[in-house]
Amino acid sequence: MASDLLSIAVSGARAARGALDVTAQNIANASSDGYTRRSLRLEEVSASGGVGRVGDISLSGARIAEIRRNADPFLQGEVRRTGGDLARANVELKGLRNMETALEQSGVYDAMVEFEASLQQLAGDPVDPARRAAVLGEAETLASKFNITASGFDAVRDGLQFDADAEVSEANIIGQEIARINLRMNRAGPGTSDRASLLDQRDLMLEKLSGLTSVTTSFAADGTVAVSLGDPARSFVNGGTSSALTMAVAADGTLTFDIDGQAMNPTSGSLGGANLALNALKDARARLDDLASSFATTLNNAQANGVALDGSAGQPLFSGTTAGTLKVLLQSGNGLATAPAGSPAGSRDPGNLEALRLTLKTDDPIQGVSSLLFDVSSKVAGRTVTQSALETIASTARISLEQQSGVDLDTEAANLIRFQQAFQASGRAMQTASDIFDTLLGIGR
Amino acid sequence: MINLSTGAFYERSSSQIGTLRTRAESLQKMIGSGERLERSSDDPVAAARLRTLARGERLAEVDNRNSQLAQADLQLTDQALNSVADIVIRVRELALQGANQTLSDEQRAAIGTEIDSLKENLLLLANGRNAAGHALLGGQARGAAYENINGVATFVGTNAVDPLEIGEGQTVTPGLTGPEIFNFSDANGATDLFQVLGNLAAALTAGGTAASDASSAALGSLDVGLEKVTTAQTVIGSRLNWVDLMDERREKNSERVASEKGDVGGADIALTMTRLQETLTVLEATQASFVKLANLSLFSMIR
Repeated sequence: MASDLLSIAVSGARAARGALDVTAQNIANASSDGYTRRSLRLEEVSASGGVGRVGDISLSGARIAEIRRNADPFLQGEVRRTGGDLARANVELKGLRNMETALEQSGVYDAMVEFEASLQQLAGDPVDPARRAAVLGEAETLASKFNITASGFDAVRDGLQFDADAEVSEANIIGQEIARINLRMNRAGPGTSDRASLLDQRDLMLEKLSGLTSVTTSFAADGTVAVSLGDPARSFVNGGTSSALTMAVAADGTLTFDIDGQAMNPTSGSLGGANLALNALKDARARLDDLASSFATTLNNAQANGVALDGSAGQPLFSGTTAGTLKVLLQSGNGLATAPAGSPAGSRDPGNLEALRLTLKTDDPIQGVSSLLFDVSSKVAGRTVTQSALETIASTARISLEQQSGVDLDTEAANLIRFQQAFQASGRAMQTASDIFDTLLGIGR
Repeated sequence: MINLSTGAFYERSSSQIGTLRTRAESLQKMIGSGERLERSSDDPVAAARLRTLARGERLAEVDNRNSQLAQADLQLTDQALNSVADIVIRVRELALQGANQTLSDEQRAAIGTEIDSLKENLLLLANGRNAAGHALLGGQARGAAYENINGVATFVGTNAVDPLEIGEGQTVTPGLTGPEIFNFSDANGATDLFQVLGNLAAALTAGGTAASDASSAALGSLDVGLEKVTTAQTVIGSRLNWVDLMDERREKNSERVASEKGDVGGADIALTMTRLQETLTVLEATQASFVKLANLSLFSMIR
């Protein structure tokens, strides 16, 4: 006879204690980041009888076979993918919104309309010093509005680059962390709680990394993971070694990334978003500069074609060829060349002013500013729709993962009662073993 | 089995309540500002339209100011023309008297003196100033319209008044030049009022039969001159009408722009209030049901 009631009961009590521990751990980590619900797999311990002892009872109770981690690799992959897309959309949208704010709140459009109105007003009486001063004043306002917009764009660019820089170093830290986890994974025995928590950490790190850039993963049977980043996929973490992700800023403000010297393009994650936003910013910046410079050229050419109030040849109104450097050169409104070349001093002939107004009407730089604003804002509107769609998708994926691997307190409460009862029942079995022993001892009396 | 994770429940609830709160806030902002658009990206097309409308509104303001200026100049010209017509009529009366054969030379000389001073008055009128302080009848000249060169009133202005924009691509010429009022052709060819008055005054002062002949001859010239002046008055009157008409148009236009602005960018208060109320009702219900569900834990049953 190979069975021992007391030891069977002890093993049962021990298994129930283990299950209670796991339940308590689940409850404690109900809202921990990256925690996956654990469950216990119990196994019967028994031996088959040897030769000639087939009828024997050889039972040895139960034991904890495995601490199971209820993770679904597919759902986790979905959370990583959709989370990366959402992070990209968020950063891009934020950048575009800031651009829109810089362009709209600076009031460049309003200032241009005011300038146009002041020219029209000047046409009513081209020698009126007050009207001339008004034109010059509006020109100064306009130039400073262009400057403000340009520095607003600069601030958006600097912000995006600063964030991207911080995210690159974060990605490198995460890469080193994943490499370390890979090494420790080899030492953790299968089915242990140690391994489960390492896997939790691994998945948490991967999720964080996918929020930064596009990630390709390949999982080995031993739980280690090889990570590649970007497009084309460049190996980032392989076994216990991680490579270095570096970022470079081009002259036009856009970013390039490489891993150990090999160029790659982050197609999702916040780095991907920063890349897209900086490209959009570059285009808008070029258009704004174009508008400012062609506006200044138009005005300066018109000045050159006419004569000022004192009969001298018109001097340039603006200096600078970019939105950031646009400045008014004229000191006094009398310098505005409203009269055509060859007119005497004090001429009321508005010929040159009319020509300028006609040019402005045909070229219409005001409409140019409006359509730049329209393009940026419609981009923002389009991206807002995309972003809210991606947000829904990402939160659906997260909720499905949570439902699958998250902790449900009601279930844990039920488990608590169940395993408590199992523990009590095993205790009762021990009591029975003791009673039997007492009975046997009492026989001899 | 689908595991109803506690974390998922809280995450879903918080995102639902957060969405409702955001919507309520943006509706509240619309009511507070009366504007449907907070920034261009809320509705890029409408925002672009609003910008164009605002630009048109701003330019219409300047048109309005220019139009007032043109009106003032035209009215001043009209007044000047009235005075000119009065002078011409008076001179015609005097010429009629001067043509009377029974008058003595002294009497004719007195009439000549009066006509001479009327000519001076006419010259002063011709050199009047407009609202901006420039020569009223001098075209685009910066100084006076007429100058007395060797006793002859000579026009020194420019030949045309530049038209002034008064909106919708329309213009008005805010005045007349001296020759358009004073120059005409009589039996002896091209002449002007100053010349006619000067010659008449000189002939009357000189006396004799030539004086009465000159007076009768001047009558014909004065009639032509008066006709020219009244024609000019008609022109000015029709231009004033044109300015009034454009004012009216601009006013109607600005009403149209204002109503389009309201349509494109304004928030419909009744509709927005209703939607806000709806959102708030849903939000309250969500919050109440969240509290109920969150309290529903098995742990509170275990004693």
